[in-house]
Amino acid sequence: MKKLFALILAVAMILTVANFALAEDLPVITIMFHGSNVTDDTAVLEAVNAYIADKVGAKLEVVWGTWGDFDEKATNALTSGDSSIDMVFTCSWSSDEYNTYAKKGYFVKLDDLIAEYGADLVAAIPESLMQAATIEGAEGMGIYAVNGFKDTATQNTWDVNVTLLEELGYTLDDFKAMSFYDFGDLFAKAKEVKGDSFYPFLVEPMVLERMVTGSIIVAGDSGATNLLSLYLNQEDVSAEGPYGNVLLNKFATEEYRKFVEQMHIYYEAGYIDPSLAVAETSNDTRTNAQKSGEYLIGTQSYALGYEHQASEERGIHVEFVPCTAPYVDTTASQGAMMAISTASEHPVESFKFLALLNSDPYLMTLMNYGVEGIHYTLNADGLVEFTDERANYSPWTNGMGNVTILPDTAAEGAGFREAFKAYYAEAKAIPSLGFVFNNEEVTNEMAALGTVAAQYALALDAGALDPETALPEFLAALDDAGMQTYLDAANAQLAAYMAAK
Amino acid sequence: MRKSKGQSATLNTFGPGAQAAFHAVLGLFALLCIVPFVFVIIISFTSEDSIRQIGYSFTPLSWSTQAYTYVFQLGGALWRSYFNSFLITFVGTSLSVIICILYSYPLYRRDFRYRGFFNFLSFFTMIFGGGLVPTFVVCKTLLGLSDNYAALIVPMLFSPFNVIVMRTFFQTTVPRELIEASTIDGAGEYRTLIQVVLPVVKPGIATIALLNALAFWNEWFLSLLYLTKNMDVMPLQYLLMRMQRNADFLAKNAGMLGADAAKAARNLPSQSLKMALVVFIVVPIACAYPFFQRYVVAGLTIGSVKG
Amino acid sequence: MMYPAKAPSRRRWNKKNFWLLTMAAPGAIWLLLIRYLPMLGVVISFKDYRAQKPNTFWNNLIKSEWVGLKNFEFLKSPSTATMIRNTLLYNAVWIVLVLVIAVLFAVMMSELKNRFMAKAYQTMMFFPYFLSWVVASYFVLAFLDPTSGMIPSIQKSLGLKPTQFYMTKEPWPIILTISNLWKNVGYSSVLYLAAITGIDTTLYEAAAVDGATKPQQVWHVTLPGIRPMIIILLIMSVGKIFNADFGLFYNVPQNSGPLYPVTQVIDTYVYNTYANTHNMGMSSAAGLLQSAVGCLCIIMTNAIVRRLDAESSLF
Repeated sequence: MKKLFALILAVAMILTVANFALAEDLPVITIMFHGSNVTDDTAVLEAVNAYIADKVGAKLEVVWGTWGDFDEKATNALTSGDSSIDMVFTCSWSSDEYNTYAKKGYFVKLDDLIAEYGADLVAAIPESLMQAATIEGAEGMGIYAVNGFKDTATQNTWDVNVTLLEELGYTLDDFKAMSFYDFGDLFAKAKEVKGDSFYPFLVEPMVLERMVTGSIIVAGDSGATNLLSLYLNQEDVSAEGPYGNVLLNKFATEEYRKFVEQMHIYYEAGYIDPSLAVAETSNDTRTNAQKSGEYLIGTQSYALGYEHQASEERGIHVEFVPCTAPYVDTTASQGAMMAISTASEHPVESFKFLALLNSDPYLMTLMNYGVEGIHYTLNADGLVEFTDERANYSPWTNGMGNVTILPDTAAEGAGFREAFKAYYAEAKAIPSLGFVFNNEEVTNEMAALGTVAAQYALALDAGALDPETALPEFLAALDDAGMQTYLDAANAQLAAYMAAK
Repeated sequence: MRKSKGQSATLNTFGPGAQAAFHAVLGLFALLCIVPFVFVIIISFTSEDSIRQIGYSFTPLSWSTQAYTYVFQLGGALWRSYFNSFLITFVGTSLSVIICILYSYPLYRRDFRYRGFFNFLSFFTMIFGGGLVPTFVVCKTLLGLSDNYAALIVPMLFSPFNVIVMRTFFQTTVPRELIEASTIDGAGEYRTLIQVVLPVVKPGIATIALLNALAFWNEWFLSLLYLTKNMDVMPLQYLLMRMQRNADFLAKNAGMLGADAAKAARNLPSQSLKMALVVFIVVPIACAYPFFQRYVVAGLTIGSVKG
Repeated sequence: MMYPAKAPSRRRWNKKNFWLLTMAAPGAIWLLLIRYLPMLGVVISFKDYRAQKPNTFWNNLIKSEWVGLKNFEFLKSPSTATMIRNTLLYNAVWIVLVLVIAVLFAVMMSELKNRFMAKAYQTMMFFPYFLSWVVASYFVLAFLDPTSGMIPSIQKSLGLKPTQFYMTKEPWPIILTISNLWKNVGYSSVLYLAAITGIDTTLYEAAAVDGATKPQQVWHVTLPGIRPMIIILLIMSVGKIFNADFGLFYNVPQNSGPLYPVTQVIDTYVYNTYANTHNMGMSSAAGLLQSAVGCLCIIMTNAIVRRLDAESSLF
C-alpha cells in the first residue's frame, strides 16, 4: 500500500514537473540557411536562444544547408508542406527561386507583418531592396521575403594578373586602354614567354559574353543558359541601352556574332584552355589556375575588397578592372533573401526573428561570426579576429541577411562596412529594375530552348565551335524550339511592366 | 558431395587450350576493372601541384600523403560516419535479407493461395512509383523517418528486384519434393523454411546479402533527404557526396555568386582528398566481398541436394 | 491469379496459407506504406501543383487544379525524338551485350580449374560496381582531357592534331558502351555464376556418362539451368528500357552540350529541364510516362516468355 502510494505520488510529481516544463516551453522556429559550413552550433544557439526568448518569444533551431544539399532540402520542405521548416533562404538563382515559389504560394506575404512588427526592419534596409522584393505572388502584389542587405549591385570586371602583365612589359594602364578585341598581341606575347602549355585567357565564357556585349541577366529567364539579352547603356547604366527596353534573342544579335567570332580566333590560337568549354570541367580548371596564378586575364563578378584577398591567396598582384559601373538589376537585388513558409505554424514569431536578425547588430554578429571569446575575439582596434573555432562555425555571411550591421574584421580593415555601404549605395539602377519574366505560360518552350542552348552556347562562348557553321545551326534549332514565342511573351510582359512603371 | 564434384572436375573439363583462353579473356577484363581503382589510389597520393599542372595522371609529377593527413584531420566526424556506415549496412542488410527471404519464399510455393497477389504487389512497385516528394511526405510526417538511423534504413528495407532474384534461386535450387517430404514429416512452415530450405539456397542468400550490403553501403541520397539537424548519424558515403555536390553547385553558380563562389571554392577539399575518401569507402566493402563469395563458391562445392 | 486448392483438407489449407501469409506480411506492409501510399502522388502529373490553404501536402494535392495533359507537353520539344531514340537504342544494345558477355564470363569462371584465379577474377570484376559514375568519369577524363589526357597527349607527341573529345560526338556511342559494359558485366556475371552453382552436379555427371563433351554439357545443362535467371533479368531490363542510367549519361560526358545529340537521354533531359523550370508536374509526368512504357514492355515480354516457358515467366 505504501509502495503504491509512493508510486502515485512520484507519477503526480513527474506530471506536475512535465506540465510546468510544458508551460515554460516556447514554440520552436526553424530556419534553413544556404552554403553553410557548420559542424558545431551549440554555443551559438545557446546564446541566441537566451537573447531572443523575450524579444521573439520562440526558441530557434537551424538547418545548416550546404551548397550541395540546400536545393533539394529546401524544395522538398516547401513542396511537401513540411511544417517543421519555418524560414527558408530564397533568391533569384537557386532552385527555390523567389518569384516562382512566391507565385506558387509557398511563401507567406509579409506586408501585414511588416506593418505590425517591422518598424526596425524597414529602418535598417534601404527602400530599394524592399521594392526589389515586391512582386506579384499568390496573394497579389507584395513582399514575400526579407531581402538581405549585401553587395546588391552587379559589376563584371577583368581579373588581371598584374605581376605577369608587367613581366611581359605592359602596365595596367596599357591594359585598361585595350578592348576585348585587341588582346591578341598581349596573349601571343604571354604564350611566347610562358610556353605553349600556358593559357593566358582564363574565362567564365558566359560571364565574358555579358561583359563584352554589355548584356544583363533577365530575371525569370531560363536558368542554366540564359536565352535573353537586355543590352545596357555601358556609359550610363541608368539610361536606356542601344536597343531600348527590348529583350533580344541573345544569340541572334550582331554583338554576339562578333564576340563568338573573336573567341574562336583566340581559342584556335591556343589562348584558352579547352577544358573551359565543358561545363563540368571548367570550374576545376579555373579554380586551379587561379590558385596557382597561372593566367594572365580572367573574368570576375566583383565584390568590393576582393582584390586584396585574391592577391594574397594567389601570391600575385591581382587587380580587377571594371567593364561598367556597378548596376542594380533585379537579379542582383534578389540575390539573398529569407522567406517564411506557408506551412509554418509560427509565422509571427518567425517574422519577429527575421526582423531582429536584420536590424540588431548583436544578433547578426552572433549568428554570423559566432560567440565572442569562442569563435572570435576583438583586437585592440575593436576589429574582429577569428579563432580556430571559426572552422567549425562558418555560415555563409552574405546569405544570412543584413551584413552591413556586422562589425569590421581585422582582415577587411577598419571602416570597411561603411565603405561597402557607400559603394553600393552609389550604384545606379537600370531602367527595367524590378522586371521579372513570368515564364509560366512558356515553360515548355523554355524547356526545349534550354536544351538547345546548353548544346551550343557554352562551347560557342568559349570559342570551341566555329561560328561559321555552328551559329546558323544553333539559331535554326532555337527557332524550331519556339524562340519567337518565348521572346514575344517576354517582350509583351516587359512592355507592360515599363508602361506601368 | 565434394568428392563427386572433384571427380567430375578432373574427368570432365575444358582442355588446357580452352583454359588458357578463358584465363586470357577473364584476366584482361578483370584487369580493366581494377585499373580505375588503382587510378583512384594514385590520385589520392598525387600532390596538388601535379593535379594543377597535368590533371589526373597515372604518372604524376610528384607524390604526397597530404590527402590522407587531411582525412585523418577530419577526426571525429570521419570515424563517426565510418561507424555509421558499418552500423547502417549491418542492420540494414540483416533486416532486408530476412524480409526478402520471408517474402519470396511464399512466392515460390505454388500451393500458396495468394501467391499471384503478392507477386504482383511487389513487382508493380518496380515499375510504378509515387515520386520523390510524396514518398518523402509519407516517410517523414507519417512514419517519423527524420534525423535518425531508421530514416537511412527503413526506406531501403525491401527491394522487389531482390525478391525476384531470390524467388528464382528458390525455383532453380530447391526441389519441390523437399518441401513435400518435410511437410509430410509434420514440420511447420517456418521450420521447413529454416531447417530444410535455407541450407540449400545459401548461394542465393549470399547473393542478395551482397546486393543489399552494397546498396546500403553506397547509399547517400536518403541522408540528403532525411537528415537536417542531426548530422551525427551521417554515413561516410554522404560525407563524400556532400563534398562533391558542394563543388558542383559552386561550379554551376559561380557566375551568380561571384566573389562568394571563389571564396567558398577555396575551402573545398582537393581532388586527392576526395579520392582518399573513395579509398576509405571502397576498401571495407571490397574486403567483405570474399566473405559473401565464399558462400557462392561453397555452394559450388557442396552441390545441390538430390530430390 | 489464384491457384486452386488441391489440398486434402480445408483446415490444413487455411493453416498453411496463414503461416505463409505471416511470412509475406512484413514485406507487404512495407510495400503498402512506402510504395503504394505515395502512389497517390501520381495525380501531380495531371495537376498544376501549388500550395493551398492550409499548406499541407495532401491538401495541396487535392485542391490543386486539374490541367489534363498539359504537363506532358514537354514531349513536343524538337529534342524529344533524339532523346527517346538514344534511350531506347542504347538500352536495347546494352541489354543484349551485357547478357551475352555476362553469361559467357559466368560460364568461363565456373569452368576454370584454378579455383583461386576464378575467385580473384570474380572479385576484381565486381570492383567497378563500387565506384560511382562520378569517380569513373575522372578516369575517363584522364584519357580524354583535351590538355592533359592520355590520348590527346599521344596524338600530340605523334604530331597529330589532338581530338577534342568533349566537343566531338562521333566516338561517344562507343565510349558510353565500353563504360557501361565495364560497370555492369561483373555484377550480372556474379548473379549468373551464383545461379550456375545452384545447378545439380549430378546432371553433369549424367551428361558425361552419356558421352557429352564439355561444350555440349554447357549447352545442354548449364544454359538450361540458368535459363530462369536469364529470363528474369531480361524481363526486368526490358521493363527499364525507357529509363537510362543517369550518372553514365551525365557525369561521364561531363554534361558537355555539343555531345547532346548522342548523350541526351530521357533522364538527363528531365533533370536539365527541371533545373531550368522547377516544374514538378513535368518531372512527375515524365516519370509516369517512363513507368507506363516500362509496364507495357514488361507485359509484352512476359507474355512472350509465358508462351515459351510458363515456369520462368515473371507472373
